[in-house]
Amino acid sequence: MFAVLGDLLRVNREFALGVLLTGIVVVVALASLFSPYPPLDVYVVPPDVPPGEGFLLGTTSRGQDVFWQLAEATRNTLLFGIAVAAISRVIALTVGLLAGYLGGAVDRILMSINDTFIVVPLFPILVLFYFVMRDRMSWAMLALVMACLGWAYDARLIRSVAMSLKTREFTRQAVFSGMSTWQIVTQEHLPYVLPIVFSTTLNNLNWSIGLEVTLSVLGFTDVNTPTIGGMVFWANQHTALVAGIWWWIAAPVVLIATLFIGLFLIAASVSEYIDPRSRLARIGAAK
Amino acid sequence: MVVARQDPAPPAASTSDNPTALSVRDLHAHYRVSHFGIRRDVRAVDGISFEVGRNEIYGLAGESSSGKSTLVKTIARAIRPPLFHVGGEVVFEFPDTGRFSLYELPEEDLARLRWRHLSYIMQASMSVLNPVRRVRHSFADFAFRHIGKRAPEFWALVAGHLERLHLSASVLDSYPHELSGGMRQRVTIALATVCRPDFVIADEPTTALDVVVQKGVLEMIREIQQQMGSSVLFVTHDMSVHAYLADRLGIMYAGRLVEEGPTREILLAPQHPYTRHLVASLPRIGDRSERHGLEGRPPSLAAPPPGCRFHPRCPLAMPICAQEVPPLEDAAPRHRVACHAVKRGSA
Repeated sequence: MFAVLGDLLRVNREFALGVLLTGIVVVVALASLFSPYPPLDVYVVPPDVPPGEGFLLGTTSRGQDVFWQLAEATRNTLLFGIAVAAISRVIALTVGLLAGYLGGAVDRILMSINDTFIVVPLFPILVLFYFVMRDRMSWAMLALVMACLGWAYDARLIRSVAMSLKTREFTRQAVFSGMSTWQIVTQEHLPYVLPIVFSTTLNNLNWSIGLEVTLSVLGFTDVNTPTIGGMVFWANQHTALVAGIWWWIAAPVVLIATLFIGLFLIAASVSEYIDPRSRLARIGAAK
Repeated sequence: MVVARQDPAPPAASTSDNPTALSVRDLHAHYRVSHFGIRRDVRAVDGISFEVGRNEIYGLAGESSSGKSTLVKTIARAIRPPLFHVGGEVVFEFPDTGRFSLYELPEEDLARLRWRHLSYIMQASMSVLNPVRRVRHSFADFAFRHIGKRAPEFWALVAGHLERLHLSASVLDSYPHELSGGMRQRVTIALATVCRPDFVIADEPTTALDVVVQKGVLEMIREIQQQMGSSVLFVTHDMSVHAYLADRLGIMYAGRLVEEGPTREILLAPQHPYTRHLVASLPRIGDRSERHGLEGRPPSLAAPPPGCRFHPRCPLAMPICAQEVPPLEDAAPRHRVACHAVKRGSA
């Protein structure tokens, strides 16, 4: 595994760039642990100071240091994305593997639920959730709701693989040796679908962060928790662009773009590694 | 090392005084398909009875689609829809477990017996190993809980067993695609025999291999069988493999057993007209005469001909053949044939 990653870093330039960009974002997020100011406090520093003069990325009109605010926001946004991805992966794997392996009525019931989630428009539903829940719409609650909306595509993908695995000899052998359904699904089939899941997880991370930023910018989330979208929301509230405080908006936008590009490059290069045919195509192209 | 066998080994000759390990009585298994309300039963196993003694290798031969694999699947109770067990008994009797009828056991008991006492080397056994897991995990998943030993002892036992199959213990840390075909086959056989089962069902375990590797694997099966004193039910359409391995041979045609007897007798003095054609089609060293194929094709098992299923192609067919199913009866000691013509002595 680590040898493979080392090879990828050396040979695949996209992967290396993706790791570098994502790494920068992660370092910024980790820096929040050393923040000198409590993240929710305002007017702790002089407002509207441009970048460079004692403050790396300047300060906001609310008297917050942009860099430390950004660090805190990055950490929250990343954790949010990871939480959504993790929860939705668990749902997608359970539904996909069981539906594919068991088939029959279980498959039909799970897949009709699944298809419902695929056709439901997500954005209006999330906005609706916000209007219904208002103050109870916390960061964790939003993550849970998005996870419950974000598993359907992958469950279908995993199900299709599980259906194929079900007919292979090693599954029949496992049944014959007396393994239970749960054992077969987790020990025999799960390792097979994990690489696929890994690649879709990165896409899911991008999707959930993007949606969260969208909601926050529009103010449809708990805006008191600092997030990337939340920063843009407050900057807009203080008409930062009109007032010429461009660094307040530029910092989160550049950072989120860095994260998206980084994750996308990793996902693209890793799925290329997972699919042997595209690896062969690369060899052909190199000649 | 096993000496190549020139004559039927003693175990074959002692079926009568050898305790029975498996007896199959009037077994029926059908593929049930239902399309747009029209139900069709494909009678792939239609009233088969035979016995396999302890410490015996029983070969099942027959052309493709004669129901060999369906028969062994049914015997292993490794069936799933659309294949259904319709009637008949499969009774095993092992020293440790006593007698039990496979289709009357509850699932939990079955899970305990299978693999430990009854193991099954599946057709296309090249793909029995999970491609994304190391061989070690396959052993842990399939065999560990049946052996009931602690981990260090278990792995010592597995290593010893692999040694016996001329494999080094390092294959445990390989992925299946890193092994050659022959090695993978041997790993599969090791997996099926590591618990020292009393009964091994082998469905075409050597079909995908070249003759050199095939010979090695066959020798190994024989060797393991003799060391463990277990019984083997061996299925292949390759008559030379049967000649090499089997003590007794059963010939299947269209879902029924048409002839059964010691391998040597079947090959040297076949009685059923189908067996005679089958044996006559085998190449012989020095014999340059042309081989003739049998006219016609095997019948559809969804709508088999009445009476003897071979009669439309049989050169000895009589009126009775189209009306009555010939019973499988003793034609010689320990040699059973299902044919009206043989019974009447006109063959």
